[in-house]
Amino acid sequence: MSNFSNEYLRGLVLEDRVHRSIYTDPAIFELEIERIFGRVWLYVGHQSQVPNPGDFFCTTLARQPVVLSRDREGAIHVLFNRCGHRGARVLSEECGNARVFTCMYHGWSFQPNGELAGVPMRRDFPAETLVDPQFGMVRLPRVESYRGFVFASLNPHVKPLAEYLGEAIRGIDELVDRAPEGDVELWAGCHRYEYRGNWKLQFENMADMYHPAAAHASTVGPDGRQFKRRSGGTGGDAPFFAANGEAVVAQTGVRGFQGGHSSEASLFREEQAGGVWDEYRALLVAKHGEERTREILRNRRHSMTIFPSVDILIAQTSVRVIRPVAVDRTEVQVYPVRLKGAPAQISIDVIRFVNITHAAASFIQSDDLEAFERSSQGLATSGTDWVLVARGLGSEVDEGNGVSFGDRSSEVGQRAQHYAWRDLMSVG
Amino acid sequence: MASGISSRPRASRNAGARLAELQEFIEHEANLLDEQRFDEWLKLFADDGVYWVPARPGQESPLTHVSLFYDDKPTLKIRVERLKHPKIHSQVPRSKTVRLVSNFRLGPPTGAPAEHCVSSKFVLLEDRPGVERRLFGGRYTHRLRVVPGGLRIVSKRVDLTNCDQFFPSLTQPF
Repeated sequence: MSNFSNEYLRGLVLEDRVHRSIYTDPAIFELEIERIFGRVWLYVGHQSQVPNPGDFFCTTLARQPVVLSRDREGAIHVLFNRCGHRGARVLSEECGNARVFTCMYHGWSFQPNGELAGVPMRRDFPAETLVDPQFGMVRLPRVESYRGFVFASLNPHVKPLAEYLGEAIRGIDELVDRAPEGDVELWAGCHRYEYRGNWKLQFENMADMYHPAAAHASTVGPDGRQFKRRSGGTGGDAPFFAANGEAVVAQTGVRGFQGGHSSEASLFREEQAGGVWDEYRALLVAKHGEERTREILRNRRHSMTIFPSVDILIAQTSVRVIRPVAVDRTEVQVYPVRLKGAPAQISIDVIRFVNITHAAASFIQSDDLEAFERSSQGLATSGTDWVLVARGLGSEVDEGNGVSFGDRSSEVGQRAQHYAWRDLMSVG
Repeated sequence: MASGISSRPRASRNAGARLAELQEFIEHEANLLDEQRFDEWLKLFADDGVYWVPARPGQESPLTHVSLFYDDKPTLKIRVERLKHPKIHSQVPRSKTVRLVSNFRLGPPTGAPAEHCVSSKFVLLEDRPGVERRLFGGRYTHRLRVVPGGLRIVSKRVDLTNCDQFFPSLTQPF
């Protein structure tokens, strides 16, 4: 039960500003877990993380431990990581392979599809209790995949995944289409960073093209160029400042999507080219022809942020997963992506560049983490209750299908996130 | 005891002197980092040198798995420039660190006559006003090359005990 009326919650997000309590109030955070994370589609993992029968990968959804698993027939499941007997968490390694998942407490075991497999001293239980599926490892109410990206929902009545993603589905396509085999793989582990701050600070940052000039000032060399952040003889780095002195990134456009998704235009103008990139391009041309290849490789989106759990990093060829832990604590994982069929060197380069852009020790992410923590400290002040998200308000262009475009680092993406937040939170 | 040392075979004595020299170098390196003399630290690296902090226990390669740091010398140079940049916000105010290095061991042999491998264990304490005290620990593995007038780092690998866990923003090299 919420202590807040729907009307009150609705009033926390205005057209151009939001109330600071949405970042700081533990009671609002608890309600978010129920009304946002409990209601929409959440990214679980990628099918390549469980390639073989018996493979499992553990994560959390809405703070609850869950398991992504593959059963003997090859089907993928998402289960609550909870023993059907007395409720202990069953799997404690993050990933692995097992014929059955065995609970350490009393030795109950479960098939990778969640069904009860073994019960020590079985005959002492009433037989009918053990056939009830709720005493297996229970499946999440809804599970759907799109091009290998597995999503689940705690809400049995959630609309179909494709409908939830809407136009944002193109962000997944844009990444996966770049693989010559039309499929990607999360193969190189992940970066893990955490911060003392609300999860929305990370989400807003992923739609924020306004901050780099100030926040990432220390990444710009004496020649006015930012360090090279992706490989290729060309198309890897970009001048940081435009002729008029503004940061180039701050002149790029942003899109806000219905449902809270957002996307920034790419920072890059040129295709990655030279060396192995030419070989890669030839593979795509052989498969798709020149015209389609040019379309696939066009620098369109920097990333596609899917509210409220995942960011598809197109320019950096990786996937970022955001998990809320507490009102003031958030954990994030960044997985480099392998484009299947691409020359091996491309995947190696992705790993190396993501190390310097998105590791906890990287040149970019460490600045953003500092910004998140300083935001948390500042938002605790009581001088004013409102936080401005007005940049570009009134100059958005409606592109149809629930997409709103704003140029010059508009805060239209952040507004889309907050409007989605408001619409979910204010329905009891 | 002097008599005990003089009775050891020559090879062992040489290895002892060698280890003392390598140990002094590594302690000097730790001191440069503690004093934030990053330019001088950078100069300790050979031009083909790398600084590597794996993100997975026992990680075999930096090319097939992410790393907390995997810097060749040009990347390390960017890192050092950033550490000195007046607008590195995550260092306002700056961190203070102290590194304790011990348990130095020679080996295994590198196969190159002028290169030596030495492992050691360390604890790093990092304090920054307004931020919780941070404590890191693990093992250093240095591969050091003898050059005229001293030693250069061919590789420095840092295996943190918590390398596969979540980290706050990291600025100080280990």
